[in-house]
Amino acid sequence: MTDIKTVWKNQPMEENSMITLSDIRVRADRFQFRIRLRNGALYLYSLANIALTLWLISRGVSPRYTAPGLLLLAAHLFVIWQLWWRTSARALPDDLVARAALDYHRQELERQRGAMAGAWLWYILPFMPGLLWELWLRATLHPANVPPVADRALVLFLILSALFFWTSVWLAFSWAAARLEVRIERLNVLKAE
Amino acid sequence: MGQGVAAGRQDDLYLKASAEFGPALDRLARAYEADPSQRLDLLQDIHFALWRSFSGFAEQCSLRTWVYRVAHNVGISRRVRRRRPQLISLEEMDQLPAEGTPEENVHSIQALARLHALIRALKPPDGQVMLLYLEDMDAGAIGEITGLSARAVATRIHRIKALLARNFRRGEFP
Repeated sequence: MTDIKTVWKNQPMEENSMITLSDIRVRADRFQFRIRLRNGALYLYSLANIALTLWLISRGVSPRYTAPGLLLLAAHLFVIWQLWWRTSARALPDDLVARAALDYHRQELERQRGAMAGAWLWYILPFMPGLLWELWLRATLHPANVPPVADRALVLFLILSALFFWTSVWLAFSWAAARLEVRIERLNVLKAE
Repeated sequence: MGQGVAAGRQDDLYLKASAEFGPALDRLARAYEADPSQRLDLLQDIHFALWRSFSGFAEQCSLRTWVYRVAHNVGISRRVRRRRPQLISLEEMDQLPAEGTPEENVHSIQALARLHALIRALKPPDGQVMLLYLEDMDAGAIGEITGLSARAVATRIHRIKALLARNFRRGEFP
């Protein structure tokens, strides 16, 4: 009589699942290409932002916002670099096999939790100086063609919108970090058994 | 890489591992992925990771342990990256009623489908332990691959046997 392990081991093989060395090399090339493509897209995005900001400055569209605009641009570049650094270095960790599955899984979760828990530092804080400066400039602008009440309402709306947006971002990261923490704790319990 | 191997040997090691463990890797990919195209993609990911990994292989462990660690780590990474349905532990699965009667599950196709579903529903490392148990590995080897203590592996194997007994015809497995 067939036992369940025999059933398991005798299951039909996947069709076309034979993988040759040339398949592997094609995949290695594709892997490198994807990294180059993603990096290229990030560089292109940065260059587009730089070009737009420089164009606005050179045209003198709104001189009051030049300095905070540059700060936001710098923040944008910093965040892009952080995203690139945090993801590219780990596309396929070198120590993939040096660890047992449980340790590796925990390491992956801890890495993600670290990124989530520290997001206020690398994703939110860099934008704050430029954003606050822009908001302050707008709050003190008092355009002659806008009634004071409407102006104050608009400024309040801008402040609340910014507050709502960035608080949501922070809460989303914190929530993700808390969920990861629970999973890490579960693995710690397993490890301690 | 000081402790690593030369490029030619990396290829040789990969070919040896692929020949020896290819069918097991295929089964592992099936257990991780229900969708055929995703499964093939995962299988290729595993083979690619395996080939890359051999540049750092200095016989720190047996070839079998190395291969299974890489394969499971690639599978786990994929699960971590992708949002999956709610996974449950072996203890939680004990509380669930078995799907279909043991007699209905006796046919190998149904049995396989049920086995795949069970493994996919389990949280790591329970799913890995079940997979390795089905691959006929002993508790020591399972512990080496998963990082669980021998006692934790033994407890899980005990539960897995009970789970299999509830889902498949009694007396058909050791």
